[in-house]
Amino acid sequence: MTAALIVGVVLAVVSVLLVALPFLREPTASDDRLVSPDESQQRRLGLAEERDRALAALKELEFDHRTGKVSDDDYRELVGPLRRRAAETLRALDVRATAHG
Amino acid sequence: MARRGSPARLVVALSVAAVLAVFLLYTSIAGGGTPVVRPSQLDGHHGRVSLMGQVVGKPSGDAHAGGKRFRLRDVKGTTTVTVVYKGTVPDLFQPGRDIVVDGRLRNGVFVAVPNTLVTKCPSKYAPKR
Amino acid sequence: MADLGRLSLVTCLLLLIYAVAGGSFAAWKRKRRLAQSAQNALIASFGVTIIAAVVLMSALARHDFSFQYVADHTSRELPLRYSLTAFWGGQEGSLLLWLLVLCGYAAAAVLTTRRVARDLLAWTVPVLAFVGTFFAFMLVFVSSPFATQRALADGAGLTPSLQNPYMAIHPPMLYLGYVGLTVPFAFAMGALLSRRTDERWIVATRRWTLAAWAFLGVGQLLGAHWAYVEIGWGGFYAWDPVENAALMPWLAATAYLHSVMIQEKRGMLRVWNMVLVTLAFCLSIFGTFLTRSGVVQSIHSFSQSPLGGWFLGFICILVAGSILLIVARLPLLRSKTRLESLVSREATFLYNNLLLVALALTILWGVVYPILSEAVTGQAATVSKPYYNFFLHTFGVPLLLLMGIGPLVAWRRASLRALGRTFLWPLGAAVVAGIALLAAGAGSSRIGVIAYTFSVFVLASIVLEFVRGTVARRALGGVGWAGAFSSLIARNRRRYGGYVVHASVVLLAIGVTGASAYETVRESRLKPGQSMSVAGDRLVFRGYQARTESNHRAIRALVDVYRGDKYLGRYRPGKNQYFAEDEVSNEVAIRHDPLTGGDLFMIADQVNTNGSIDLKVLQKPLVNLLWLAGLVFVGGSLIALWPDAREERRLAARYADAAVRI
Repeated sequence: MTAALIVGVVLAVVSVLLVALPFLREPTASDDRLVSPDESQQRRLGLAEERDRALAALKELEFDHRTGKVSDDDYRELVGPLRRRAAETLRALDVRATAHG
Repeated sequence: MARRGSPARLVVALSVAAVLAVFLLYTSIAGGGTPVVRPSQLDGHHGRVSLMGQVVGKPSGDAHAGGKRFRLRDVKGTTTVTVVYKGTVPDLFQPGRDIVVDGRLRNGVFVAVPNTLVTKCPSKYAPKR
Repeated sequence: MADLGRLSLVTCLLLLIYAVAGGSFAAWKRKRRLAQSAQNALIASFGVTIIAAVVLMSALARHDFSFQYVADHTSRELPLRYSLTAFWGGQEGSLLLWLLVLCGYAAAAVLTTRRVARDLLAWTVPVLAFVGTFFAFMLVFVSSPFATQRALADGAGLTPSLQNPYMAIHPPMLYLGYVGLTVPFAFAMGALLSRRTDERWIVATRRWTLAAWAFLGVGQLLGAHWAYVEIGWGGFYAWDPVENAALMPWLAATAYLHSVMIQEKRGMLRVWNMVLVTLAFCLSIFGTFLTRSGVVQSIHSFSQSPLGGWFLGFICILVAGSILLIVARLPLLRSKTRLESLVSREATFLYNNLLLVALALTILWGVVYPILSEAVTGQAATVSKPYYNFFLHTFGVPLLLLMGIGPLVAWRRASLRALGRTFLWPLGAAVVAGIALLAAGAGSSRIGVIAYTFSVFVLASIVLEFVRGTVARRALGGVGWAGAFSSLIARNRRRYGGYVVHASVVLLAIGVTGASAYETVRESRLKPGQSMSVAGDRLVFRGYQARTESNHRAIRALVDVYRGDKYLGRYRPGKNQYFAEDEVSNEVAIRHDPLTGGDLFMIADQVNTNGSIDLKVLQKPLVNLLWLAGLVFVGGSLIALWPDAREERRLAARYADAAVRI
């Protein structure tokens, strides 16, 4: 019975401690703002994802072409727009990077 | 093969409609399921039903020979009916247990469809036939 | 002791409520320390639930009958291992298991995501905690495993059908699956609440979703195996509501796994994916509601319990909340990409989604039909095997075919000429197989031949994918065949892991087809010395043998099996009679045919007092492919799940590039 009581008390104390930990560590925080991407960062993230998507699509097209899923004609037709798209996204990211430092 | 506009929306809509059509067609042809009734409700039903109730009294007969005869009572009631069943009898089958069996009422006796007897487990959580 | 258990659960509930309230406030007002505090509360809730679980486990091990739960589900003579698995053998204990797994997943998600994508957690923590709060609330106020009573001398014992090794693994596996679906749901809702427009949450939850889906699949196969060998009516799936309860979320999750790939690659279907992940999660909660509430007649069900109302209310809140949130964020979810061609991999994924969801919804309709028909017409009606089989065939067989077509079609659009070339070999293999099957007499089942030929088509296309990929990789130079093969898989784990999983589904389809469309069933009453024939095998009944064990009496029929002149072995189907529980269990005998992968399944249907037996024998071709499929499924899932260092680096670079602070 007492063992259970001790465990119970320890439980409660540890729980409270864990919950209070961030406040105990920094009683007065200089910067308590929750970091999350602002709008410009979100747009950059979106652009980075689009760039990765375009690059991955290009890679996959090459692979599909090599394994014969995409014919030579189809490959020629599709690779141009994909390359342009990839270049676009790379450019967009660069623009953003130089604009925002 | 790229088309202007959105073939996707149209095809998706058509496909969903097709699936729905298949579903509705089946349910309208195959009918509305098998009614689940208690012994007290048997009177109005002449087709195949799923009879649900509690086994009372002592079963007699042989399910693998002439047929097992037992009385089935409303789970919360007093109406009983005699059931004649042929086929596999689940191990849990006992007087006092709740069962479900398919069949139809013929001349006052419920003639079961073979191998449709299912016993509900009496305790809280147990998978059992 | 029980007090400690109750205290732990109350502490858990308080921690979770704090995580919901504090976490929401922190996310709304952007308070870092409060957000961290809420995360800690979620992690602490896991620790506290472990304590509660340990209390119950030790009470079960000690046969402490002052615990009502222990008295209801164990007895003194019950072997220890079954006393322990009785933990989840009843309503309250299984709820505790659910909470334990949920808090475990939540803690793990927080701990791992904290390091790489802290910003995603802001609203995810309150959502996870909200789900946990419901279960903790139920455990504290409605259905507690720590109810006590005056200690009885002995307990009621565990149903014999639960006294087997499956009880140790089937429920936990299922729960790891069911509960695991909470993680992608929480991240999805979290992303919506944070007004995120990027796909980061999908990347973060990819492995969680795959793992949960794999657990749910394996859990169901284990259940099917249990039903097959232990319950032993000759089948492995009865379309019982409780079985369907696990199948529906699994189908929805399968659809989600596929369509989320499209969102990653093409940025499409964003609204649909939100709907799908909500559907999968809500179906998993609905599944456990069905199992517990007794609202639908089932041979598996718990008795009628007040839990039903609470669960229904919770599901309504989840559904309403998710729909409102999705609708409110609709502008953010609009995608810029369109489907370019109806002959493209995106399109096949769309068809796959449509069929999977259609199948899940028709099963759902069948499950709730008794409730609906009673509400509308006053007369409850059920649907059974013919209904489910019709839709399984109508939607499942085209799905099977799609598994072979999808991988062969390129993204964006594929020309018919290219398709023709890539399809040639698999199509040829399928045609040859079809002809061979018809010649071998498989034409007795039309759907069987179709399923088999489609399966050959899919298997051939999968093999071809591996071959073509290896050839292409080797052509790049620098590696031999083996190196090319392993490098191919290592660099495309998800794709080739996925192909292996597809192969497992095909094996499953072949096994199911063989065991249902081509099975032979015979029943016969035999006196000692008499024999019966089943599909070329002759079974001779030799008499009975009885044996008394510690808690049961075993009666076995001795059956000798011959094929022609060859003696194949002696088998012992029979029954066990359990003393304490006063129940009889069916003990089947199964002969696995090593050559054909089929089973000879013997059931001692009725033991007669005059020494004769009513023997029911089923010959089930290819049924063991089902279990093989399970192994292949696990292998494929592991390949797809395996951590990929190259991918991690790429992702880290992507997020560093976008200057998103983590």
